[in-house]
Amino acid sequence: MSTAVSPAEVTQARAARRGEVIVEFKEVWKTYSGRDILAGVNLQIRRGEVLCVLGPSGTGKSVTLRHINGLTRPDAGDVIVFGESIVALSEEELSPVRRRLAMLFQGGALFDSMNVEDNIAFPVREHTEKTPAEVSRIVAETLNMVGLPGIQRKMPSELSGGMRKRVALARSISLEPEVILYDEPTTGLDPVSSEKIAQLIVDVNHRLQTTSVVVTHDIVTARTVSTRVAFLHQGRFQFIGTFDEATSSSSPLLRDYFRAMGFPCGTGVFQAVPKGD
Amino acid sequence: MAQPEPSATAIFYRNLGWLRFVDRFGRKGSQTVEYLGGLFQMIGETIAASVSRPFYSGELVNEMDELGVKSLAITGLTAFVTGAVLAIQTAYSLEAFGGKQFIGRIVSLSLVRELGPILTALMVAGRVGSGITAELGSMTVTEQVDALRSMAISPIRRLVVPRVLAVVFMMPVLTAIADVLGIIGGLGIAVTSIGMTVQDYITSIWQQLAISDIFSGLGKTVFFGFEIAAIGCYNGLQVEGGAAAVGRSTTRTVVLASISILVSDFFLTKLFLAF
Ligand SMILES: Nc1ncnc2c1ncn2[C@@H]1O[C@H](COP(=O)(O)OP(=O)(O)O)[C@@H](O)[C@H]1O
Ligand SMILES: [Mg+2]
Repeated sequence: MSTAVSPAEVTQARAARRGEVIVEFKEVWKTYSGRDILAGVNLQIRRGEVLCVLGPSGTGKSVTLRHINGLTRPDAGDVIVFGESIVALSEEELSPVRRRLAMLFQGGALFDSMNVEDNIAFPVREHTEKTPAEVSRIVAETLNMVGLPGIQRKMPSELSGGMRKRVALARSISLEPEVILYDEPTTGLDPVSSEKIAQLIVDVNHRLQTTSVVVTHDIVTARTVSTRVAFLHQGRFQFIGTFDEATSSSSPLLRDYFRAMGFPCGTGVFQAVPKGD
Repeated sequence: MAQPEPSATAIFYRNLGWLRFVDRFGRKGSQTVEYLGGLFQMIGETIAASVSRPFYSGELVNEMDELGVKSLAITGLTAFVTGAVLAIQTAYSLEAFGGKQFIGRIVSLSLVRELGPILTALMVAGRVGSGITAELGSMTVTEQVDALRSMAISPIRRLVVPRVLAVVFMMPVLTAIADVLGIIGGLGIAVTSIGMTVQDYITSIWQQLAISDIFSGLGKTVFFGFEIAAIGCYNGLQVEGGAAAVGRSTTRTVVLASISILVSDFFLTKLFLAF
């Protein structure tokens, strides 16, 4: 990304290309200790959408996510990101792709030797030539965006779980990525914090015109944020479609899942709840 | 009275214990090969990364302070006490031969050629090697290392290179200081309880100690430092699981680094004697 282009122009350009396929899985296989975690996964992620990957714990949602930025390599199949196959790239060759992606890890993965300011500034200082003044402006802006202004001097250990995730989100967006990968952004948080994070995901996706992939087993979050949901089960996506299609689906697999998560499907109760935005 | 031939199945079961043993041995062997393969690959990448950009010099300075300067107390104390004890023991064993005037020579030679380097290396393996594994290990299990990779920053460049270079640079410095402190420790004993003069002690050192002794002693420590830091980093980055796994890896670092120091000391000593 050239720094001469204004942020507004970047987001406009991105908005114009909404809907094109930005990430594609083709027959991806991944085996861990004899178990096929991914068994021929096919998936297309479109620019501008918020795709929620749903599924029970341990089915390979995180593994799927880690294939998108090459943290994990498939045993077979192809992963295409920004029109380029990334499965055979070396770590060095992956750098340009990774700079256009950001990942929010489950525990936040903040560097605990650095304060909040240095954490958020870290990717900016690494990859751009911005002056210290510009860097601290970016830090302040992103912190504002996640609703935590003025905590630059705090250390990660002084923050609550929800705050850590929001700082991690601030760090993820500091380089204005095209795609943000969220691994369980709301797991382990109280309902109020969860709701805040979910709103932030929608907000960031809209304001920065990013594409988001949200791995979660939290149905409330999926409902708030998703453009589409993809349901992973036994190594494959058994369902891909909108949230409403998922809840009204006649697939016993999906119905069982939603019921197990405490959502009555097909009874009309669920659909009656207005969807806030 | 011909015995019936035992069947193949019978032979198999009779030897089952042995087969199990061989199998377990084979598995350990292949794990070892895998471990060493990974370690040497990381070492290769580290060497390649330490001579190319980007290079994190700020991190290097931090680590030299953290891993080197802050080890001074423990390595210095160890050498000082060892020098003193060495003087007492030497005096005791040479008394019968009337060889007290050799104390300075023996203490300084043992320290500079062998005890200074090896004791410093073992102390650094305990303090620094374990510290590196604990730090990188907890970064690994909390996904901080993956976070670096996801930001297109190489953990080898950012985490491994500064630590390896810091320990490599600091080991000879720590050892040189340890040598001096050890000799002073010996001097203390020689003067207070053996009745030598400071002058005699120092003269006997000057008569004995050659530049080659000093260089062979300090030269070895560069290798020791490399081994400690490489094993420490590799074990840290390899951790899988949670806090308990970090603990086990830390122990493993101290054990492996100590063995590696002792074994390589043998070969390095022979090598340096050849010159
Ligand atoms: N690096 C790894 N080594 C071995 N097994 C792994 C690894 N990563 C994931 N797995 C296994 O893959 C399965 C799916 O993991 P994951 O994608 O984390 O599940 P989730 O859907 O809860 O995110 C788990 O059973 C886990 O044990
Ligand atoms: Mg997961």
